[in-house]
Amino acid sequence: MGEFFRVALAVAAKDLRVEHRSKTALVSAIAFAALVLVIFNFARDAAAVSREALAPSVLWITFSFSGVIALNRSFALERENAALDGLLLAPVSRSALFLGKYLANLAFVFTVEAVALPLFVLFFGVDLTGSLGGIVLTAVLATTGFVAVGTVFAAMTVRTRFAELMLPLLVLPFLLPPVIGAVQVTARLLAGRPLSEIAGWLRILGFYDLVFVTLCLLLFPPLMDE
Amino acid sequence: MPADPNANAGYMIAAYIVTAVILGGYALALWRKAKGAGRR
Amino acid sequence: MTETPAGRRATRRGLGIVALGLLGLAGVYVLALRYTPMERFQGLPQKIFYVHVPAAWSAMLAFSLVGIASALYLWLRDPRLDLFAESAAEVGLIFSMVMLTTGPLWGRPVWNTWWTWDARLTFTLILFFLFLGYRALRGALQDPGERARFSAVVGILGLVLVPFVHLTVYLFRTLHPQPIVLKPSSPSLPGEMLRTLLVSVGVYTVLLLGFVMTRYGLGAQARLEGGEDAR
Repeated sequence: MGEFFRVALAVAAKDLRVEHRSKTALVSAIAFAALVLVIFNFARDAAAVSREALAPSVLWITFSFSGVIALNRSFALERENAALDGLLLAPVSRSALFLGKYLANLAFVFTVEAVALPLFVLFFGVDLTGSLGGIVLTAVLATTGFVAVGTVFAAMTVRTRFAELMLPLLVLPFLLPPVIGAVQVTARLLAGRPLSEIAGWLRILGFYDLVFVTLCLLLFPPLMDE
Repeated sequence: MPADPNANAGYMIAAYIVTAVILGGYALALWRKAKGAGRR
Repeated sequence: MTETPAGRRATRRGLGIVALGLLGLAGVYVLALRYTPMERFQGLPQKIFYVHVPAAWSAMLAFSLVGIASALYLWLRDPRLDLFAESAAEVGLIFSMVMLTTGPLWGRPVWNTWWTWDARLTFTLILFFLFLGYRALRGALQDPGERARFSAVVGILGLVLVPFVHLTVYLFRTLHPQPIVLKPSSPSLPGEMLRTLLVSVGVYTVLLLGFVMTRYGLGAQARLEGGEDAR
């Protein structure tokens, strides 16, 4: 058991260390998020649609698009150096490998979101007092689920030629339940609704996470092994 | 308000034709593949 | 892998069932157009219902088959299960296409909009993307073992996803009711309309079976011959 987590953390640490050195993927994901926010501001008709009405959707479009970009980079490094095969040759649990990759991806996407959120507040002028905690919780719940699925798909598509196209195509349907839930919760939080109204959606998000993280952990070994 | 019986018949006809084309077309494609494969 | 005679037999039997199904479809057309009463408020376009709804049912059934075959493949590693999943996925794509083309043709005259985000249409759209993704992934992988394993995982994850999509879209819709409901006029279907619908569902199911069997047989033959069709 301890071995399992040790391997996972080692893999995660390696990924994060590599990313920390070059920072290219992180910077591009954050720049992308900023760009999306800017475009949304100019692309709407200020007279017709209020910023408040649009805010939850914009936030979640930004989060999910940046998330998918972040996932793309997940196995890109391995692909360039055929390092994935090296990793797989090591006599370690496949599930541990997955967990490590997953944790690294999660850290990565959370970082992008943590930078995008203040930008969102800045560009959209929303007041987050009172709702910040709820929004952070929602972001964590919604992100956890789809990053798990995205990590599995990233591992698959790295072997294909059009990986950057294939990954979003595969992952998109899996984004729908978390994003629907997250937007509903965010909209209510921003409108100052009580937590009791939101609890149901949060439970669904949590259940989604539980099911898919577990499933991905279980499916990774048969995925990778002949 | 009850609908005029003959209004919008075009949509209905189009839908029925599209369905037949897709399903029939697929059947045809499968059949032709079977003929081709059998020849080998 | 399957011997050629078994593959050919499946193809032949499958085509026979397809022929039966197409005959049945013609029968449904006659039944729906001539022997089913016209719905009062929607008029003729409502009859699209009889070719539209069973397509959604078939697409969903096909997808379930993909998911189940995928799970069994990962467990048993029998390549025939992989071929079956591949066949069901292709057929499901076809039925999704029927659903997604007839839907707008129904929506436009009756509710004045080409697309409605109602539960069934949205759901089938997601299925369509899952089928597409499944197929695209398979096309992009050369190694048969990898192809089978990877698409099996997509199939399983996709099937588990379905209830979540259903739930969240349904909840969303009840919170944001739109004036559009893709249902015939009354909450309960009049007897004759129900009858026609059920007959149509039956015919579509027969077509589904025939298509899958034929596609499976063709795939088995192609794999044996190791030709370009071996996907």
